Amino acid sequence: MILPCPPLDRSEALRYLGVRGEAPDDVTALLSKAEALLCEKVKPRYVWRALDPPPKFPGEDLKRHLAGCRTAVLFAVTLGQESEELFRRAQSGDMALAVTLDAAASALTESCCDLAEAEIRKAFPDRYFTFRFSPGYGDLPLSVQRDMIRLLNAERLIGLTVSPSDMLLPQKSVTAILGVSDAELPKARRGCALCRMREQCQYRKAGEHCGF
Amino acid sequence: MDFNRFWILDGAMGTMLQADGLPLGDRPELLNLTDPDRITAIHRAYIEAGAEIIYTNTFGANGHKLAGTGHTPAEVISAGVAAAKKAAGDTVLTALDIGPIGELLEPAGTLLFEEAYRLFAEQVTAGVEAGCDLIVIETMSDLYEAKAALLAAKEHSSLPVFVTLSFEETGRTFAGCGVDSMAVLLGALGADAIGINCSLGPREIRPILEKLAKETSLPLIVKANAGLPDPATGAYGVSAEEFANEMAAIADCGAVILGGCCGTTPAYLKALRARLPEKPCRKAVSPVPALCTATRTVRLNNIRVIGERINPTGKKRMQQALREGDFSYLRQQAVAQAEAGADILDINVGLPGIDEVETIRRAVRAVQSVTDLPLQIDSSEPAAIEAALRLCNGKPIVNSVNGKQESLHTVLPLVKKYGAAVVGLTLDENGIPPTAEERLAIARKILSAAEEYGIPKEDVLIDCLTLAVSVQQKEAGETLRAVRMVREELGLQTVLGVSNISFGLPERVEINRSFLTLALQAGLTLPILNPNIPAMMDTVAAFRVLSGKDAGAEAYLVLMAERTEAEKTETEALTLPHAVEKGLDTHAADLCRAALQNGDDPFYLINGVLIPALDRVGDRFGEGKLFLPQLLRSAAAATAAFGVLQEHFAKTGGGAPTKGPIVIATVEGDIHDIGKNIVRVILENYGYRMIDLGRDVPVQTVVDAVREYKAPLVGLSALMTTTLKSMEKTIRALHEAELPCKIFVGGAVLTPEYAEEIGADYYAKDAKASVDIAKRLLG
Repeated sequence: MILPCPPLDRSEALRYLGVRGEAPDDVTALLSKAEALLCEKVKPRYVWRALDPPPKFPGEDLKRHLAGCRTAVLFAVTLGQESEELFRRAQSGDMALAVTLDAAASALTESCCDLAEAEIRKAFPDRYFTFRFSPGYGDLPLSVQRDMIRLLNAERLIGLTVSPSDMLLPQKSVTAILGVSDAELPKARRGCALCRMREQCQYRKAGEHCGF
Repeated sequence: MDFNRFWILDGAMGTMLQADGLPLGDRPELLNLTDPDRITAIHRAYIEAGAEIIYTNTFGANGHKLAGTGHTPAEVISAGVAAAKKAAGDTVLTALDIGPIGELLEPAGTLLFEEAYRLFAEQVTAGVEAGCDLIVIETMSDLYEAKAALLAAKEHSSLPVFVTLSFEETGRTFAGCGVDSMAVLLGALGADAIGINCSLGPREIRPILEKLAKETSLPLIVKANAGLPDPATGAYGVSAEEFANEMAAIADCGAVILGGCCGTTPAYLKALRARLPEKPCRKAVSPVPALCTATRTVRLNNIRVIGERINPTGKKRMQQALREGDFSYLRQQAVAQAEAGADILDINVGLPGIDEVETIRRAVRAVQSVTDLPLQIDSSEPAAIEAALRLCNGKPIVNSVNGKQESLHTVLPLVKKYGAAVVGLTLDENGIPPTAEERLAIARKILSAAEEYGIPKEDVLIDCLTLAVSVQQKEAGETLRAVRMVREELGLQTVLGVSNISFGLPERVEINRSFLTLALQAGLTLPILNPNIPAMMDTVAAFRVLSGKDAGAEAYLVLMAERTEAEKTETEALTLPHAVEKGLDTHAADLCRAALQNGDDPFYLINGVLIPALDRVGDRFGEGKLFLPQLLRSAAAATAAFGVLQEHFAKTGGGAPTKGPIVIATVEGDIHDIGKNIVRVILENYGYRMIDLGRDVPVQTVVDAVREYKAPLVGLSALMTTTLKSMEKTIRALHEAELPCKIFVGGAVLTPEYAEEIGADYYAKDAKASVDIAKRLLG
């Protein structure tokens, strides 16, 4: 299913570019150019599927995340191959534009997830949702990407595939799981303190965060 | 097969199996082995409903998708064909069904064309051995993958081959392919019927099919879904009756091979059969001749510029790049020409002592990873031509064949097999004839030889040969006369290497553009020239207006408006270091040129001006006062200035000693290479010779390169936690090979601790840090 291209969250894109404080004029101009190019080219797509009961994936964190949920919604979002042609080309001509396109596309992907989630929620009025949980969060391995793609028939429906190293292709894509519950869920608990992987986590070592 | 009648295909296999309890996400193909009677029963149900061609249950039976199941494609396919033939009997045809591999081909993914070809060939061979009657390649999104499959089918069988792609409502596939490119390439490669399947219902497919019917005279196939799926349940909404009505409308648009895809059942097929008219109404069409890539079709109905810059003849920098395997330089040349308005890119990598076959393969891959322009394969070596034609993502031109018997009979079969167009040079065993009449005679001979090989007339392009006017002055006129005669008497497209005319004269552009104008007027349609020279492109743009090819001068107005926009950048007084710091590349180049004319020492410009400016930019980046895009803009400005200095050294001899080399690569399995590319750009600026191995680089390739180039420093990048393992393996292999190199690593999920743990010598947190490491180690 095709999603409308959401407006670019510029502050998010600037954050990915490492810009702190007010953005200089030339960076702002570059971001506008990247936004225009992406909005012209990109065709975001998403696919989802409600599974009742939720699928059995390895690890404890997802299980805990879905506690109390009878249903799980699997979904995938992709900006499509169109955006990647832009990066490849820019990397052989204008690297500054390439990194800006990359950051803007990441921000757009995140916004597309929000749009997709809003659409999905409409199909379940009066139900309660967990936050989005993706392969790679906590101890849910990236190898689950392959199962997600197969369960969603995402290759056929939105052209989303997985590489042999469990990388989603096209690159600007996300898969995620939402728990759906009849009863109100306890306030979402997330963060490194609760994560079983916190001691080995590469994100955490780098002072970053996987999103869990 | 007789296509003056309808052929009814079957409906969905997966839908039937899922309705019968196949768990979501399970591989239906394995049932060929575990429960073949169930598969035969579904085939029978479709045959009873009226199917005359059934697709075997082998859609995903390729080596990639079956990995880990414990079964080979041969086992699954031979059982699948047997299960179908059991139902088919003597009257119904069994089609070996081949779907996409499930992994993206490069450049979008990491799967190589040759590997895709190998996987498809394995399926075709198994299907043929099991006795299928025809081969169906379906649900393709990437035309390049469809080419690999079609080539595999043609080379491993003599059966009819059908090819269908899946489109979105936009009329393009997920990979961006339109019906125009599809028709051009699949027709040229010899598919027996082409069409559309899956993704959409018949209502959405119809407008796309109507377009396709205008692009090809091949029999058309439609295998539509039962509408669009409900996202929550995956169920399809269109009823059998609606489906049949809409499919009948599709038959009215010219489709002759009809069936159902996802969501359809025997009831749909039965209804379809009942609704079909007696006879198909297919009309032959004659589309405008064209070249294509998977995502762009270039029609030969206007002046089309062939960019000449990817050719080492007389170009030192290109020679160096080819000898060193620096394909990032070729990519830059490709993008620059595309942005300057070239329609087609010539690729010539012929250099004494170079492995032309391997080099042209890599060049084709590099160029088509960054542009969607059709290619012109320029070589006199048949093995190189064939290697390039195989890998070419689309319908290219072969440059060239000539009137010599040997040339005609080695090159033309390749052109036919790979569905290319071909440039015919008007020379033969006796050399280049002086008169236009004789050149026309050779053109005629080439055309008739091409037609004997089954190459359509419109794919024969004639080059009447430009000779240097400084040497053979009166032959300029003969060339122009020959162009006119070929155009008027044979009606063929014409090619000329325009820049050859001015060889040996000063201010060559003046001669070139005047000759170009005369040649266009004489009937030149495909000028080969340097599109980076605005004067040449302006001449073409002006000619398109004057000859009425640019209606309302629309394209001309756009071009000139962009020009004015680009010239508007600030005009304030700038110095070279400021231009670098502000990232103004054209200004930096101009100022550097002016400094040289002023008599400034080039070494002073490097070490006293440019490097200190870069250092200041790097420091401000380190302090967080300036950000990554700005750092890269400055790097680009410095590169432009260094380019001017290189030109200067090329003329005067000498030049700055290069440091290094440094080998860099994004490790195997990882295609996130933007970080590595940033590091390359910045290090190049500091005068390091960079050997960039690209992305998804096998461990051994890194080891071999470090050994070959005796590199004292190696940089590796990885972005994913899963590919850090490849990084570790690469480092271990470098250590085991006992190569005296230091290793620095970088990537989003790396940390200094982890870098140390896997045996790297340095961790670079960003491009600036990599410069510091290189400086410390190599000076």
